[in-house]
Amino acid sequence: MSISAAIEVKNLVKKYTDVAIPAVDNISFTIEKGSIFGLLGPNGAGKTTTISILCGLKKATSGEATILGLSLKKQISEIKQIIGVVPQEIALYPTLTAYENLRYIGNMYGLRGKNLTTKIQENLEVVGLASHANHRVETFSGGMKRRINLVAGILHTPKVLFLDEPTVGVDVQSRNLITEHLHLLNKQGCTIIYTSHLMEEAENLCSAIAVIDHGQIIASGEPKTVIKEHGSENLEQLFLKLTGKTLRD
Amino acid sequence: MLRLYSTIQKEMLILLRDKGGLIIMFIMPMAMITLMALIQDAPFRDYQELKIPLLMVNNDKGNLGSTIDSGLYQSKIFEITKLPLSRDEVKQKVKSGEFNIAIIIPENASDLLNSKVSHFVTKKLNEAGLSDSSEIDESKLAADLSLEILFSPDTKKSFKSSILSSLKQSTSKIETQTLLELFNKELKQSDNGGNEKMKDFVNFKEINTVETDEEVLKLNSVQHNVPAWTIFGMFFIVISMSGSIIKERDEGSYTRILTMPGSYITVLLGKISAYLLICLIQCVLMLMVGLYILPQMGLPVLIIGNSMIAVCVVAVSAGLAATGYGILVGTIFKTHQQASTFGAVSVVILAALGGIWVPVFVMPEYLRIMSEFSPLYWGLSAFHNLFLSGGNLSTILPHVFKLLAFCFINLGIAYFFNQKHHK
Repeated sequence: MSISAAIEVKNLVKKYTDVAIPAVDNISFTIEKGSIFGLLGPNGAGKTTTISILCGLKKATSGEATILGLSLKKQISEIKQIIGVVPQEIALYPTLTAYENLRYIGNMYGLRGKNLTTKIQENLEVVGLASHANHRVETFSGGMKRRINLVAGILHTPKVLFLDEPTVGVDVQSRNLITEHLHLLNKQGCTIIYTSHLMEEAENLCSAIAVIDHGQIIASGEPKTVIKEHGSENLEQLFLKLTGKTLRD
Repeated sequence: MLRLYSTIQKEMLILLRDKGGLIIMFIMPMAMITLMALIQDAPFRDYQELKIPLLMVNNDKGNLGSTIDSGLYQSKIFEITKLPLSRDEVKQKVKSGEFNIAIIIPENASDLLNSKVSHFVTKKLNEAGLSDSSEIDESKLAADLSLEILFSPDTKKSFKSSILSSLKQSTSKIETQTLLELFNKELKQSDNGGNEKMKDFVNFKEINTVETDEEVLKLNSVQHNVPAWTIFGMFFIVISMSGSIIKERDEGSYTRILTMPGSYITVLLGKISAYLLICLIQCVLMLMVGLYILPQMGLPVLIIGNSMIAVCVVAVSAGLAATGYGILVGTIFKTHQQASTFGAVSVVILAALGGIWVPVFVMPEYLRIMSEFSPLYWGLSAFHNLFLSGGNLSTILPHVFKLLAFCFINLGIAYFFNQKHHK
């Protein structure tokens, strides 16, 4: 196990019952501490399954993974303390206010009292929602919901952050704010694992990428290096070259 | 504890902001209790209390008419109106619904009865060789003596037969008495013996099975409907609870919770605690309806027995059974529509089987056997045991254990289902 590795995945396999082809087919990769790692792939490629396994939501059929040296199989409780997850859905309670949602999530991580209140206020200010703290989430615009969804994932200051398409369907300003904040978190030492269909965003944001298709990693490394290796001009061209132009459902 | 407290707080906030849910959980069951208690008041009332309008046309001047009249009066079932009307007029009054029953006693009915009996006695004494009277007129024996009884078209068969049987009892007594008097007269026995009124040889003594030192409790509309609809209302929480679980799953909050530290069981316990609290508030409010609102509407006051602790134990165990069922429904079904439809229909079926609408004892035997498997029946039986039979904690324990077992079985199934689908 590398000391500099935030996540190490070895021969990870995930097979679903009644499905012949594995969703994740014997993949291995390493994510360095302090990196922003882009896990890219078309629909059904296996990226959400991989992230779900690493977050403890699903059990791997076989293989091993460690997060900051903690075994996924044996130390999932400890892992859950140090990871943060920003799901694709706005995983918040619409009838609760932004503050009430964040207070609940903070409590679930053991945060309480003044410490929690300060963290909520600070984070809401960073994402420009301080004045909406006492407004119900159901009244928020799409961009505001994405921003509060991000805050919910980072409130407890995780060491490793998983983001599943965090900027899907948001306005340019909100997307810019989110990516800026991700850069800031990364500078503070947080390792980020990120999935997206927005290749330009991934190219600008990620320090390392892996392209996954049919459950297998078909390319990985620094974005510029991988693009160059495959004779492409940008990440989008590389992506289409590797995964084809056939529509995926 | 922080996770548990925080989950309860979160659930309560969500519930309090769901106006539709609040109406389903509180207003509807309270309205249901009030309405059903009022509707079912008459069928539940004793016949002594319920006076049936009866029209009596007594054209007889003798003791037959007066005995029937006093017999009907003593039964306390009827509100008797005496009018000198013709048969057609009587028929019209019953047909129009003004009276449910009418009795027409024909003119000289007593004289005709005496004549018939007298001829019958003489004939029998002649046959036995105790008399040689030649005054036997067979036509008088065959003469028709009929009391006319008119029923409104909607009168139930069972009610008709009970009225007829009551009238038959009155007329038989007069027939027997007249027979005895004539036999005595013919056998030339003393006047004292002949005038002695015949007493019943067999009497009926009503013994109540409830041995409380308080007043005898009755299964009236309030005693049945308040606990019944309280249990029903508590189980209707299945809709809100399963909806909450499905919504949490659809909106991604469930996924987020699973990525957080600690066991999901704590979150589930928080959810159960919040909904259990709602169930208990429901229960208190609905019992208050029986104690304070229904008496204002002319209905009897709810009698809740002697053991408040036992009432609380029933409420908690019924609440746990309801929340356990809510979790199972919310876990198994994928959409809110499926869960709410199944939840509502299944609770209505379990309620029907459990004797919520009509008491179990009036059901056919096979339904009575099936009702033994309804958690609503267990809850209602426990409440009835406390409210009607003066029961206590020890007498309701079998029902409480069944309710708790139902809760744990539901949670167990939900757990295994969840594990299977989130591998």
